[in-house]
Amino acid sequence: MLRFVLSRLVQSLVALAILSVVVFVLARTTGDPLHLILPMSATEEDYAHARRYLGLDRPYVEQYLSFAGKAITGDFGTSIRARRPVSELIRERLPNSLRLATFAMGVTILVAFPLGVLAAVNKGTAIDRAAQVVAVLGQSLPTFWVAIVLVEFVAGRLQWLPAGGVDGFSSYVLPGLTLGWFVVAGLMRLLRSGMLEVLDSEYVKLARVKGVIEPRVVWVHALKNALIPVVTFAAIYFSILVTTAIVVETVFAWPGLGRLAYEGISSRDFPVIQAVVLTTAALVAVVNLSVDCLYALIDPRIRYVR
Amino acid sequence: MKLSVKIATLMVLALLSGPASAQSKTELTVALSSFSTEVLDPVLGGHIVKYYLSLMFDYLVGTTPDGQPSKEGGIATRWEASADHKRWTFHLRKGVKFHTGEELTSEDVKFSLQRAISKRSTTGYAGPLRTLIADIETPAPDRVVIVTKDPTLIIPTYLSRSLSTEGMVLPKKYIEANGDDAFARKPVGSGPFRFVEQVTGSHIKLAAVDNHWRIGTPRFKTVTFKLVPEEATRIAILRRGEADVADVSRERVKELEGEGFPIHVRREEAILHMWFVLDQDGWPAPMKDRRVREALNLAVNRAEIAQAIFAGKADPASIPMGLSWSFRDIGFKVTPEMAYAHDPARARKLLADAGHPNGFALDVYAFQLPGLPEGKAFAEAVAGYWQKIGVKAKLIPVDYPAFRKLWVDRKAPGAVGYYNIANRDWIGTYAILEKQAYGPSKANDTVNDVEIDGMIAQITRQTDKDKISSLMRNIFTRLRSEHYGVPVVYLHSPYAASKTLGKWNPGSVMYDLFFDELASGKK
Repeated sequence: MLRFVLSRLVQSLVALAILSVVVFVLARTTGDPLHLILPMSATEEDYAHARRYLGLDRPYVEQYLSFAGKAITGDFGTSIRARRPVSELIRERLPNSLRLATFAMGVTILVAFPLGVLAAVNKGTAIDRAAQVVAVLGQSLPTFWVAIVLVEFVAGRLQWLPAGGVDGFSSYVLPGLTLGWFVVAGLMRLLRSGMLEVLDSEYVKLARVKGVIEPRVVWVHALKNALIPVVTFAAIYFSILVTTAIVVETVFAWPGLGRLAYEGISSRDFPVIQAVVLTTAALVAVVNLSVDCLYALIDPRIRYVR
Repeated sequence: MKLSVKIATLMVLALLSGPASAQSKTELTVALSSFSTEVLDPVLGGHIVKYYLSLMFDYLVGTTPDGQPSKEGGIATRWEASADHKRWTFHLRKGVKFHTGEELTSEDVKFSLQRAISKRSTTGYAGPLRTLIADIETPAPDRVVIVTKDPTLIIPTYLSRSLSTEGMVLPKKYIEANGDDAFARKPVGSGPFRFVEQVTGSHIKLAAVDNHWRIGTPRFKTVTFKLVPEEATRIAILRRGEADVADVSRERVKELEGEGFPIHVRREEAILHMWFVLDQDGWPAPMKDRRVREALNLAVNRAEIAQAIFAGKADPASIPMGLSWSFRDIGFKVTPEMAYAHDPARARKLLADAGHPNGFALDVYAFQLPGLPEGKAFAEAVAGYWQKIGVKAKLIPVDYPAFRKLWVDRKAPGAVGYYNIANRDWIGTYAILEKQAYGPSKANDTVNDVEIDGMIAQITRQTDKDKISSLMRNIFTRLRSEHYGVPVVYLHSPYAASKTLGKWNPGSVMYDLFFDELASGKK
């Protein structure tokens, strides 16, 4: 087991190292951040000064080695746009993203579990069809559109909930619902198909024959076994929610990691781009590693693959 | 289940409580689509966020909302130049204190200016000031003398609120004791509002000092700037009473006016100007030909663009690089003859005369910009007009930094780009013109004209304001007569306000919105 974990850890570190080179190079191919932070009236001398001061005049290899060496210690340099340590910006933004993703995942589980189970138990009925509609809408309606409708209608017109910003529990509701609905669809369908398979298995039939009451058969015996792929899916989706909520964070003025990434990219803020990409990649790697370990614990055969 | 009960309870409570009540008038909340650099230190690209920095800091030279120098609005109550215009003496207001309680003296002014032209600085005019300033003397705590290498007229304006942030006075002792980085996180100034907190990507909060010489006892105890990138969200929080001011797009003005929200407009906040990318030798063909440049101008229906793309919140422009807030300073008048007619027939004839009866290929880079969400639609419209006169205009969608790189690397000669250049006074305009004049080693040039280069060089050495004005007028006249670029429209920027906000003049000073005037307790 230890060998398996170490092997996956090494793979993750190699992936991060390769990614650090890729993001370093790509970030520098599309523009110069000084063109955005210096005014139109800035002179060549101003550019030279700023480039020298920010260390952007050094050879790329030297810049990369300096960046990589510091990144290992958690120092991602200073933001070119905001002129603050990038690690500080990440520390400010990451918790907001984690909290929102947790809320969205909570909403997802609260909605997807009952819906998925009820749809499976009532296969082919109106309940099943209604659940399918929820799933199809969640996956087909663009997140941006859902977010705007909620902002315009629920926050702007009905004035039930805040439209944006992080300000207490109520501010989580609209962005959490928007983010969560998309995941509800996937989770619900996965749970429904898992439940259908399990409900048809021999041990469930045996439980019924032995006289176990139906709710216990469904919610305890069947659900427990249908959960394994669902948990994996939810874990991976959690990391995706943390790292890719740019649209939701933008619409709901949510100061999270996604918006930081967007701001970094649009202002060619190399240190921020590099830090956000590596942080999110590390997060995904940790989640994947955890899921791999979980699988390995559940199914010992996985440990001996390769 | 507990969570779902909590959500349900919350929604019921929200329903019962109804719309959020209008905010107390002691708090001013401003929702903006962008904070740009989001910095708190004036020398770190602060020129673009003057609208909040100017609440925290005082300028050496004050400026009225309509851009005129003000002896009441700055630390200097008067200033004078020596006969040779190489020594500028500023007499400082007495009794001004920083938010730490320290008194502001000439040492602070000297320190601030030295810091503004230091290597750390990325302010707009650090370069020219580095070249110009020879020494800074502090003969008395209330007197500072700036000694220049060459005679100049422009020192007071460079250090005023009308331009960038070099004139902001910072606390020497605080910065020396705590360091630059600490100051950049927790700035201390002497302005009517002190810094409270910043959450990057979210908001900046300021609190009023009790009584300030600029605004007396302020109307608002706090001012909070909220970063809300999405317009629907800004409007929703305005409707909910959670914001008092929000920048809105031109197309939603009518709807908001219909709902009773007052709209405050910064007229001619920017000129939307298109230019031709030069190559290493200057003008690339076919832009070298004046007739081609004129044809491209005549093809564009500016009135239609102003109405259809900018919802009527724009006016046709006719002077290339014609930053109109400078016109008042130099006495330049735009005559009716200078306006470009929309004349496709004449445009086609000019192209034929220039040897392009079947047009020519033209790359038009299309991008959005801060304050210009209509960017791509605008580029499409202009490309459409040019196609109608036979020019094979090809739209290339990019983001601005990518275009800018091509432009300054001279990798797109003859192509067309554009920018919503923030309007500014004559010195700011002069700096832009100087920057855009051609030079083989210069990156940001857009105009290649020996005559204009000569006039720009004369202005640098000139100390007679009338002569400077005359030279500036001649530059604009030549820019227009030679059709150096395609000036399209002047953009007006609307701000929706809460119904209780009251009178507010956002002024006509670059990157400033004069919220201190709004907060002023002075009659």
